[in-house]
Amino acid sequence: MRPELKEYNLDWLFASTFSVAKNLGKSSPDELEYVYKYIPYVRPLLKPVLETGKPALTFLDLFGDYYTDIVNAKENGKKVVMTTFCFDPCIFYAVENLLPVTLEIGTALTSLAWKRGSTDFMDYCTEIGFSETGCSSQRGAMGAYLAGLGAQIDLVALNMGGVCDTNANAYNFAAQYLDVPYYGLDYPSELTSDEAREYHHKDYRNLVRFIEEHTNCQFDIDRLRDVLEEKRKQDDLMNEIEDMQRLVPNPVPGIYHIMIYAARYTYSGKKKFTKMLEEMVEIVRENVKKGLSGLRNGVEKNRSFLVYIDNYSYGVALYEWFEKKGISHLGNILSRTFAETAPYTTGIPGTAYRIDTTNFDTMIDTLADINARMPMTRTIRGSYDAPNMWLDDTLSLAKIYGADSCIYLGTPGCRNTWSNIKLLARDLESFGYPTFIAYGDSFDSRVETWETSEMRFEEFYKIRGLL
Amino acid sequence: MNNVFLEAATNLENASIKKWKEKGGKIVGYTCSFLPVEIFYAADILPIRLRGIDAHSMEISDSYYGPFVCSFPKAVIQLAGSGKYDFLDGVVISNGCDTLRRMNDCWRKMGEDIKGTLPSWFYYLDVPHKPDGHAFDWYVNQLKKLIKAIEQQFDVHISDDKLKKAINTQNAVRRIIWELEKLRRETPLKITGSEAYSAIIAGTLMPVDEYKKHLIEFVSEIRSRITDFAIDKKKVFLGGSICDDFELVSLIEASDAVVVGENVCFGIRNEKDRVDENENPIKALSMKYLSASVCPRMMGWYKDRAAMIIDRVRKIKADGVILQNIRFCDLHGTENGLLERDFDKNNIPSLRIEREYGPLTETGRLKMRVDAFIEQLKSAGINPQ
Repeated sequence: MRPELKEYNLDWLFASTFSVAKNLGKSSPDELEYVYKYIPYVRPLLKPVLETGKPALTFLDLFGDYYTDIVNAKENGKKVVMTTFCFDPCIFYAVENLLPVTLEIGTALTSLAWKRGSTDFMDYCTEIGFSETGCSSQRGAMGAYLAGLGAQIDLVALNMGGVCDTNANAYNFAAQYLDVPYYGLDYPSELTSDEAREYHHKDYRNLVRFIEEHTNCQFDIDRLRDVLEEKRKQDDLMNEIEDMQRLVPNPVPGIYHIMIYAARYTYSGKKKFTKMLEEMVEIVRENVKKGLSGLRNGVEKNRSFLVYIDNYSYGVALYEWFEKKGISHLGNILSRTFAETAPYTTGIPGTAYRIDTTNFDTMIDTLADINARMPMTRTIRGSYDAPNMWLDDTLSLAKIYGADSCIYLGTPGCRNTWSNIKLLARDLESFGYPTFIAYGDSFDSRVETWETSEMRFEEFYKIRGLL
Repeated sequence: MNNVFLEAATNLENASIKKWKEKGGKIVGYTCSFLPVEIFYAADILPIRLRGIDAHSMEISDSYYGPFVCSFPKAVIQLAGSGKYDFLDGVVISNGCDTLRRMNDCWRKMGEDIKGTLPSWFYYLDVPHKPDGHAFDWYVNQLKKLIKAIEQQFDVHISDDKLKKAINTQNAVRRIIWELEKLRRETPLKITGSEAYSAIIAGTLMPVDEYKKHLIEFVSEIRSRITDFAIDKKKVFLGGSICDDFELVSLIEASDAVVVGENVCFGIRNEKDRVDENENPIKALSMKYLSASVCPRMMGWYKDRAAMIIDRVRKIKADGVILQNIRFCDLHGTENGLLERDFDKNNIPSLRIEREYGPLTETGRLKMRVDAFIEQLKSAGINPQ
């Protein structure tokens, strides 16, 4: 690891960066350009984010708060739980003395904003024994926490058993390495059977007991209800954005997706996330009224649906390339909720969740249902072509969003999707969706440089006559 | 080396399998050690562990699997796509890891493309990643569903009595294998690791009664052996990813070492490693196959596994441990990293290697590393005991 990296605490770096960045909203355009000169590697992220206006400032403020809380956790008597991106963290906010740190978001932020991303941290994980072929999404930020360059982790809790071995395995490694308690929710390969539902509920109750045992804290029912009611509002707002995305041209700026899911996996159930969503909805509604595209140049030439995740390995280069080419980003697997109020869950009962705040038991079952229906835990747990799994979801979403093409981006560490993406792509093609499989790493530009990725995207869109 | 076991361990469709088929017997292949073979024996069906030992290229499996995937399931798909598993009457896929889980998808898709490669009965066994509580109940139900499915497909009845008989027979085999394991520890050495390992692998590829008969003879023959194996051979314990060809063991033993024990998806761990014959058979099978699992897919139980492995290494009096993982097998790759650290804390020398599966292993590179490790063991004179 480069010695200079050891000089800083990762959470502190994020806290400082975001806390300062949120004040840039008060700057004039000239002042902003001047600032950008001094932050050449943060600029590719910051500039397009700031251009989204109000939501950008809330986004920066939210992350400033999130990381500041983590930095001050010990001082404020709070424990820090290491968790994953497809786990809904609102349960942690229902306990007085617990704060979540979501590794993949940290990895993405370093990839988006730092010259070399978190590659030093990734390599550090390998140095201390973690498999070098493991997923880069965890290895990035995880390296910092294992090297003692982030918050002191008190426990590890996540939900990837049965869905993504590589992910669960990484968190298990971290727990063993740090010698802290570990709890992993586990999922059967089926989603909608009564037996599976019972499994989800029992497993989640064990998680609640685990949290209580290791935080010496009881869940406050009123606080839990508040968090879930806030989450309900957030779901509704996200669903409204998704619904408006069906319009042609798509009125949703592509970068909203990354802002939404980054905030969702760190600040679910918190008011600032609601505020950001409200601000986004207001802008998108205005675009709808005026018939405007969410693309900056206003001309939508293609609508692309990302069947898995995005590329964060070189700022928001992918989003910017989409902007340049007039391609509407229709979101990816991480973008949407599977709440029963979502437009695309209509008619498929059992695959969506309902927020029921009647009492403690219904709330815990609700949380179990939510976590069993997070993007990955819901969509890529069973056979890709089983009902309500990856193929079904992708086809129905691509159809309702009017996608012209589908894109797969991931990491070489993803055993799950690399074991069936070729099958999915074939099927999508047979349904008329030109599908591109990118071989790069969403978090690590050493695997494939952005220039190479860009060339391949160009080739795909050109050869398939999509632009 | 025992010819029967060698023949069984080195041929996909070995003589015992052919004989079984000629008599009209049914054969079902399975992918993972979470499948209780007793259930199939109770139905007079021969269960065989699926392997990829004859795969020397991946042109078929590359059409289904992506490039960043462990070569073991790819090798199995390659063989199935080449018609090498056409003799199977059924297959049970279980979710040993993500890639094995997706073998279910890949094989079915291949069956659409290459007619005749998908067996008439294709079953998915959903194994939880936890050993107890609701996960245990889930597994019990999975086994009950599996039994029903077998009964329906093969028109058989699997009674408790038949299950108990099958459990009894398998336990008898386990007792003999434990005798074999004890003989492997004797000094002077009476048996090479490759010999022992081929016998253990053969047990997953032959009818149990035939296997038991040969195993008794084999153990008796070893017991009576008077050997002059060099006493300065270093005793090595092998751990990690699935290893179903004894070529890796032979490679290690070509470096003046002998493999005296394994923790690689085959064989048994200790003398208590068997199914409880006093319990309800399905519950007893679940206790053995799920709750007693030592696979790193059961996340959260590393400390128990590490303690068990360290205990075995000590009892076997191994001089060192070779931890291997197939490239892209992150479960073992990562667990090996933790084990390496804990071996170090316990003054047990270890070597960590990454390889491709079986026939795809690059022997030269591995031989050089193993040679160096054995040389270090010899020059350091380290004795963890």
